[in-house]
Amino acid sequence: MIGVTDRTARWRRRPMAGLLNLLYVFLYAPILYVIYASFSQDIVWPFPPAFTSQAYADLVSNSLYSDALINSLIIGLGSGIISTAIATAGVIGILRYPSKRRTLIIVIFLSPLFVAELLIGISSLAFNARILGLPGNMFSAIAANAVEGVAFSFLIILSQLVRYDWQMDEAAMVFGARPTRCFWEVTLPTIWPSLLGAFLISFILAFNNLEISFYNLGAIPTLPSVAWGSLRFGLGPELFALSALTNGFVFLIFAVMYVLMRTGLVKFGYRGK
Amino acid sequence: MKPDSTWRAFITPFVLLTGPGTIFISITLLLPLLTIVMFSFWRTESYELYADWNLDNYRVLFGEAAYRTFLFRSVVSGALTSLICLVLAWPVAYYIARHGGRYRLLLVLLLAAPFFTGVILRIAALQGILGPGGLINMTLGLAGFAPVKLLMYTPFAATIGHIYLYIPFMVTAIYLSLVNFDFALLDTAKINGAGPFRAFAEVTWPLNWIGTSIGTVLVFIPCLASTITPRFLGGPNATSFGMSLSQQFGETGTWALGSAMSVVMFIFSFLVIAIMSFTIDLRRSGFTGVGK
Amino acid sequence: MSTHDDTVSLSLQDICKQFGPVKAVDGVNLDIRQDEFFALLGPSGSGKTTLLRIIAGLEHPTSGRVMVGGQDVTYMPPYHRRIGMVFQNFLLFPHKTVAENIVFPLRMQNIVKAQRDERLSWAIHLLRLEGLEARYPHELSGGQQQRVSLARGLISRPALLLLDEPLANLDRELRAEMEIEIRRYQKELKIPFIYVTHNQEEALTMSDRIAVMRNGVFEQVGHRTEVYQKPATAFVAGFVGQSNQMEGKVDKVNGSLLAFTWKGTKLVVPHAGDVKAGDPVRFMIKHEDVQVEIASRKAALPANHNRLPGKLRDIIFKGQTVNYLIDLEGGMEIVASGSPRDMKLTAGDLVFVFWPQEAGASFKL
Repeated sequence: MIGVTDRTARWRRRPMAGLLNLLYVFLYAPILYVIYASFSQDIVWPFPPAFTSQAYADLVSNSLYSDALINSLIIGLGSGIISTAIATAGVIGILRYPSKRRTLIIVIFLSPLFVAELLIGISSLAFNARILGLPGNMFSAIAANAVEGVAFSFLIILSQLVRYDWQMDEAAMVFGARPTRCFWEVTLPTIWPSLLGAFLISFILAFNNLEISFYNLGAIPTLPSVAWGSLRFGLGPELFALSALTNGFVFLIFAVMYVLMRTGLVKFGYRGK
Repeated sequence: MKPDSTWRAFITPFVLLTGPGTIFISITLLLPLLTIVMFSFWRTESYELYADWNLDNYRVLFGEAAYRTFLFRSVVSGALTSLICLVLAWPVAYYIARHGGRYRLLLVLLLAAPFFTGVILRIAALQGILGPGGLINMTLGLAGFAPVKLLMYTPFAATIGHIYLYIPFMVTAIYLSLVNFDFALLDTAKINGAGPFRAFAEVTWPLNWIGTSIGTVLVFIPCLASTITPRFLGGPNATSFGMSLSQQFGETGTWALGSAMSVVMFIFSFLVIAIMSFTIDLRRSGFTGVGK
Repeated sequence: MSTHDDTVSLSLQDICKQFGPVKAVDGVNLDIRQDEFFALLGPSGSGKTTLLRIIAGLEHPTSGRVMVGGQDVTYMPPYHRRIGMVFQNFLLFPHKTVAENIVFPLRMQNIVKAQRDERLSWAIHLLRLEGLEARYPHELSGGQQQRVSLARGLISRPALLLLDEPLANLDRELRAEMEIEIRRYQKELKIPFIYVTHNQEEALTMSDRIAVMRNGVFEQVGHRTEVYQKPATAFVAGFVGQSNQMEGKVDKVNGSLLAFTWKGTKLVVPHAGDVKAGDPVRFMIKHEDVQVEIASRKAALPANHNRLPGKLRDIIFKGQTVNYLIDLEGGMEIVASGSPRDMKLTAGDLVFVFWPQEAGASFKL
C-alpha cells in the first residue's frame, strides 16, 4: 500500500521537477553561453573552443567603462544605504508601535513595487527638470533608485522582523538600557542579517538599473547605460565580458546571502525555547 | 514630571520611524507622478512646455490609430506573459516549497538571482542565443538549415524575452506564499474525501491566491511598460506603448503627449491592481495580518 | 495619601489605565512592604500584567502615582528605575552568553568590571549556574534559562523584583521545584517580589499576600490563608480553590447565620452581611469542606451541620485527594473531596453530605 502511494506521488512529482530543470536551463543557458563566449576568440561562433582574455583587457582599458563603473557603484551604495535606513525605521515603526495607520504605511512603502521603472524614471525626470529646474545629476538618480530600493528593503526586512520579539527590547530597558543603547546592544545584533540582505538587494538593483538612472542622469554614464549604448551596435566582446563580470558579481552576493541565511537565521527570532 | 501630552500626541515613535519613509516616497514618487498628471494637460511646442490647460494630448492619444495599436499590443503582451509565467511558475514554486526540503532556499534563490543582473545585460545574453548571430541560428545555418525566422525580431521573440526577464517575480511571489501555507490542510482535505485535484482547487489555490495575484501584477506592470525587450528582440512590428512613450521624452521632445501616455499607462497598471484586489476576499484568503 | 514609611517599598496610588474605551486598571491602591512576597492573581485580561508593566515603567498610567522607596517614579522611563524583572518567555538575549546576560544590568549602570565579576560569581553561586557561564541561551534547558533569567533580575540587588508568569512555560515537575526555590531567594535576599500569575496554586504556594484582580480592580487583598478561607467576593471564592455553588432566596437572618432555600433544600450558612429575608444569595463552599458519610450511619452525623441525602455517582482519583461526585435528590450535584486513605465508599452507595453551618461563605447577588 505504502509502495503504491509512494510511486504515484513520485510519478506526480516528476513532471514538476522536470519543469523546474527546464526553467533553470532557460534562465542559465544564455548566461553560461555569454560567459563561455566572453573568453572565446570568436564570439559569433566560438567553436571549437579557443580561449583568450582579450575582451576583458579591452573592457578594463576602456575609460568609458571605468567611469561608468564608478558611477554605478556610487548610485548602488547611495541608494542601498538610504533604502535600508528608511525601510528599517519604517518596519520597526509598524511592528513595534501599533497604530491605526499601519495598513496605510505598508501601502505607501510598497507602492513603488507597483509603478513601472519607466514611469519612476520619466516622472522624476519631469519633476527634476521642469519643476525644480535641475539638470541630470547623481543625487536625483540615487533618490529615484532608492524609491524602488525602499520597497524591496521594506519587504525583505518586514518578512524577517515579524518574527522578532520586541519584548526583548523591553527587557533591556527594564535592566537599564536607554533606547539607543538598546538598539545597538540588543536589536541590531539580532536583526543585522536581514538589514544586510536588504542593503545588498537594493544595492544590486540600483547598480544594474537602466531606466530609472538613465532619465535622471542625462549624459552621465553608468554600466547599464553604456551597455545599452553598445548593444545598439550589436553584441560585442566587451559587452559579453561585462555581462560575465556582472553575473559573477551578482552570484557572489547571492552566495554570501545564502550562507548568511543558512547560518544567521538559525538564531533569528529566538523566543526563549 | 508628566510629559507634555499635546506634543506627545503627534510626535509618537510610530510617526518618527515611519515619517522619513512616507516623506521620502511622497517627494520622490508621489510628487513626480502628480507632475506628470499636470503636464499631460499642458502643451509642448518646440521642446518647451506651456501651461495652457487642454485635453489635446488625450485626443491625439485616443484619436490616432498608431497609439491605440501600441497600447493594445502592450496590454495583450503583458496579459499573455503574465498568464504563461503563472502556468509555468506554479508547478515550479509548488515543487520547491513542497519537495525542496533543506535545499528549497537555494533552489528559489537560483531562480531569483538572474533578475538582478539588470534588463540590458539579460537581453544581451538572450540575443546571444536567439538573435541572427546567436547560438541557435548559427548552429542551424552551419548545419545547412534555414534560420528560424520566428526567433529573430518578432513579437514571439519579445514574449520569450519578457518571460525570461520576469518569471523570477512570479516564482518568488508564489513560493513565498506556499512556504507559509500549511500543507497539512491538504492532508485534511484528502482524509475528508477530496481527490488531489479537488484538494488543490478547494484548498491550495484559494489560500495562495494573494501571492499568485501579486506575482501576476508584478509581471504585468513591467511588461506593459517594456521598452528594451521589444526594441532589441521584437523587430519592426513590436513597437510598444513604452517605446513610443520614451520617444516623446527623447527624440521628439513632446513632453506633454508623453505625460498623457504615462498617465494612461499608470491607469492601466492601476486597473489591473484593482481587478486583482477585487478577486481577493481577505477573510477567505488565510491572511492573518502583520505583526501583533 | 500615604505618608512615607520606611517599610513600604512600593506604593501604588489610585492607578488607572485606559486603552481606548477599555479600563485595564481601574483605581488600584497598594502598599508593598520591604520583605514580602506579593502575588497578583487573576484570570487573563484582568489587568494584572498591565499593572506590572506600569510598575516597571513600560506603560504609563492614565492617572495615579507609582512610588518606589518614597520617590515618585510614575513617568520615569524604565531604564532609570533600577527594578529587576523576570519575563514569561525568559527573554534572554540570544546573542549573549549566560555570563553576559546576567551582568547586562550592571553594564548598563556602568559598574566597573571588578565589581561586576564579583557580583556575577555571587549570582552564579546563588542560582547554581556554575559551569554554564560561557553557554548561549539556546544551549540551556528550560529550567536553566529560568535561573539565568532570575540571576539577571537579581544581580543588581534591585529595589523590587517583578515576575511575570515566569513558570508558565515550564513543565509541571520543574514548576513545583522552582516555586519553592523562588520563595527561598525572596526570603534570603529580603527584596520584595511581585509575582503575577493566573495559577492560584502558584500564588498560594509562594506568596505572603495575594491580591485577586478582576476587570482592573482588586477584588480582595490579604494574607494567603485569609484569601483562601475568607473570600471577600463570590469571584474570589470561585477563583481561589475549588468550590460548590448554591443559589437561592434568604428565608431569615439569624445573627451570624442565615437560612436559605436552595432548589427546595433548606440550608443554614454564614451571614453575607447586608442581606435581608427575601434577597437572592449565593453560597459557596470549598470541596474539601464538604464531608461524605454512608447513609446507614446517619445517626452518627454531628449537630449544627447541613445534611443532604444523595447517591455517590462517581469517584475521581486525583492522587493526593479524591473527589466524590454526589447526585442529590432533586437533580443537583455536589462535589466533596477527601483523602484517598479513607476511601471506603464505592460508586452507587447512598450517602449523606454534610458540613458545619459556619463553613463556606455566602454573597449577596
